[in-house]
Amino acid sequence: MEVRGPLIRFGLLEELLNLARANSLWPMTFGLACCAIEMMATTAARFDLARFGAEVFRPSPRQCDFMIVSGTITRKIAPVVRTLYEQMASPKWVVAFGNCAISGGPFVFENQYNIIEGVDKIIPVDVYVPGCPPRPEALIEALLKLQEKLTGVRRFPVPERRW
Amino acid sequence: MVAERVVKDLQALGVDLEEVPYERRGYCFDGRVQREGILGVAEAFDQHGYFIEDVLCVDFVNELELVYHFNHWEDPRRFSIRVRVKPSDPEVPSISSVYPGAGWHEREIHEFFGVRFKGHPNLAFLFLHPEIEAYPLRKGHVPIPEEDRKVLEGRQPEGEEESFWINMGPQHPSTHGVLRLLLKMRGEFIEEIEPILGYMHRMQEKMAEVRTYIQYYPNTARLDYVGPLAFSMCFVGALERCCGVEVPERAQMIRLITLELNRIASHLLWLGTYLLDLGAATPYFFAFDDREAILDILEGLTGSRLTYCYYRIGGVYEDLNDGFLQKVEEFIGRMRKRLKDYDELVTGNAIFIGRTRGVGVLPKEMARRFGVTGPNLRASGVGYDVRISEPYAGYRIFGPEIAVRGGCDCYDRYLVRLDEIRRSLDLLEKAIRRVPEGPSRAERIPKKPPEGDVYFATESPRGEVGIYIVSDGSDRPYRLKWRSPSFSNFVSFTELGRGMLIADAVATLGSLDLVVPEMDR
Ligand code: SF4
Repeated sequence: MEVRGPLIRFGLLEELLNLARANSLWPMTFGLACCAIEMMATTAARFDLARFGAEVFRPSPRQCDFMIVSGTITRKIAPVVRTLYEQMASPKWVVAFGNCAISGGPFVFENQYNIIEGVDKIIPVDVYVPGCPPRPEALIEALLKLQEKLTGVRRFPVPERRW
Repeated sequence: MVAERVVKDLQALGVDLEEVPYERRGYCFDGRVQREGILGVAEAFDQHGYFIEDVLCVDFVNELELVYHFNHWEDPRRFSIRVRVKPSDPEVPSISSVYPGAGWHEREIHEFFGVRFKGHPNLAFLFLHPEIEAYPLRKGHVPIPEEDRKVLEGRQPEGEEESFWINMGPQHPSTHGVLRLLLKMRGEFIEEIEPILGYMHRMQEKMAEVRTYIQYYPNTARLDYVGPLAFSMCFVGALERCCGVEVPERAQMIRLITLELNRIASHLLWLGTYLLDLGAATPYFFAFDDREAILDILEGLTGSRLTYCYYRIGGVYEDLNDGFLQKVEEFIGRMRKRLKDYDELVTGNAIFIGRTRGVGVLPKEMARRFGVTGPNLRASGVGYDVRISEPYAGYRIFGPEIAVRGGCDCYDRYLVRLDEIRRSLDLLEKAIRRVPEGPSRAERIPKKPPEGDVYFATESPRGEVGIYIVSDGSDRPYRLKWRSPSFSNFVSFTELGRGMLIADAVATLGSLDLVVPEMDR
C-alpha cells in the first residue's frame, strides 16, 4: 500500500521533528501470536528496547505512533488491526514482525480459509522482519532501520565489514 | 474400581462396549451407542465422577462420527464413546445440560461440521468469520445453510433491562493475545459472559489433513508457543504409539529434561505477565531474565528460542551437546536462589494477596464438568497429572511429585505454579544424574502409520494436551484433533466469572494462564 507524504514541508523544522520522533517512538501493546512473546522478550531485562528510545508501550492506539504487528493476521482480526492502525496518531509507522505478518508464514496452504497472507494487504508497512519468530535482536535492528528511515542517518555505528 | 462399575451401567444402557489395548490406542474402552442414548450415557459418567475430556467429530463421508472422551481423576482409564449419524440428518442430543464443558465442544463441531445439537442453548459461531462459505473440516465442499449461520457480532440490552453489555478485547492488554469477551454488567458486577473466539484460528486441524505428518510436525510448536515441547511430544508420542516404535532410554531422558525446562520457562512467563496485569512491574523483569537463562540452554540444544522442532519419531534430533548437563545444573542452583526472591517479592505482598485470595474460586465439581486440567485443577485440590496417570517420555522411569493446593482461588493457582517450578527443579536434578548412555534415536521407524485411530496425552504447563489422530494408512492424517487445555480451562470462566467484579475478572482470567492460539487452534 502506498502512503502519500505531507503536502507542505517545513525543511529544517521537519528534520528536527523527525529526529525527535525517531528517538521517542511509542509502540502499541498489541500481541497477536507467537511473535508477541519475542516482542515482550525484547522489552524485558536482557534486550531492553528502552535503550533505543522505544520504551513506552501503550495499550491505547491513540497514544501510539508505532505498531509492531507480531503474529498471524486472520480474517477475523484483520478489521481490528485496520481499525487500530487508523486510530493511531499520525505520523505513524508499522513493523511487520515475523513471517506471518509478512506473508502468512507457515499457515499458507492451498484453499486456506482463514488468514490474510501478509499485513501489507491491509495497512502500509515500513519495515519487514523475517523469522519464525525473529530474534529480539532483529526487532532492535528493525527499530534502528526505522529510525534511519526517519532521520536519514543510521544511529548506531554500522559494524565494520571484515569479509 | 470406578471403571468396572461404569462399564456395568453402560452395558445396561445398551452401549456396545469393548476393551481395547491401551498401549496401541491410547484409550481403554471403546463404546458405540445410538444417538438417542448419548444423554443417558453422559449422565452415567457424571454419576461416577468422570470428567469430560473432549468431544470431536470425524467425517467418514457417508457418516459423521462423534467421539466423546471421558476420563476419571482417580482411575484414569479413558472411555471413548462413539455416535454415528448420517450427514443428511445430522442431529444429536446435546449433553451440555450434564457437562457444560461439552457444550462448548459441541458448538465447535456445529460450526466446523454442521452437526446440530438438540437442546443446546446457543449454537452461534465461535471461531469462524462471517463470510465463510463451506464447513471447513468436512471432506468435500459442503456449503453452510443460511439458517445454521449464526454469527455473534455484539450484544445489546433487551427490553427494560438495567444491565448493559461491554466489550473486552480483542485488543486488551490483559487478555494476553486476542481474546474477546462480551460482558453483561450490572454496575460493577458481571452477570453473563459471552466469549467470541477465533481471532487466532490458524486452521491447524485443516492444515494437518493437507500436509504429510512430517510437513505438519513443525506447526505443533506454534499452537502453544509458551510451552511448545509438550505439543511436539504429544504429536510424536501419538505416532510412536500407533506404530509401536520403541524409544531408546537416553532419548526418553533427554525429552524429560527438555520438557521440564520448558515447563519452568512457561511458568516464569506466566508469572511475569500475570503480575504485570495486577500492576506489579518488577517481577516481569526478574521472570524474563530467568526465562532467558532457560532459553539459552534450550537454544544450544535445539537451535531455536521459542518454536522448537526438536523431537523426532523414535527419539530426538541431536544428542546432548557438551556441557548441556552442567548448564542445567548451574541453572538449577540459580533458580533455587531466585525462588526465594519471588517469595519475598510477591508471595507475602499484601496488595497481591488482597487481589487474589478468595477471588475466582473454582470448585472441584465445576472443574470436572468443564474438563479443567493442569495447575488450575491442582489448585482446586485434585492431584491429577498426566505425567503420573499416563506416564510418557522419561516419566516412566521416575515421575514428579505433584503439587496440590486446596484453596481453589487465584492465589493458590499462583502457589501451585511456584511449587511446580520447585518440583520440576527437583526432578531435573535427579534426571541429569541419570541420563543413560546409548543411542538417542530409534534405528528403524515405519514410513506411514497403520490404519486406525490413536489418542495420546501429555501434561503441558497449562494442563492435559491430547491428540486424536485417525489414519487411513496414507502419509497424511485423515483427521487430527487437538484437545487444547486452555480451551477447556477458559470455558469454565463463563460460569466462574458470573457475579464477579470486573476488576476480579482480569485477575481470574490471568490466573487461568490462557494461550489464545492454542485455544483457537
Ligand atoms: S511468524 Fe512464526 S512465530 Fe511468528 S506468529 Fe507466525 S508462526 Fe508464530
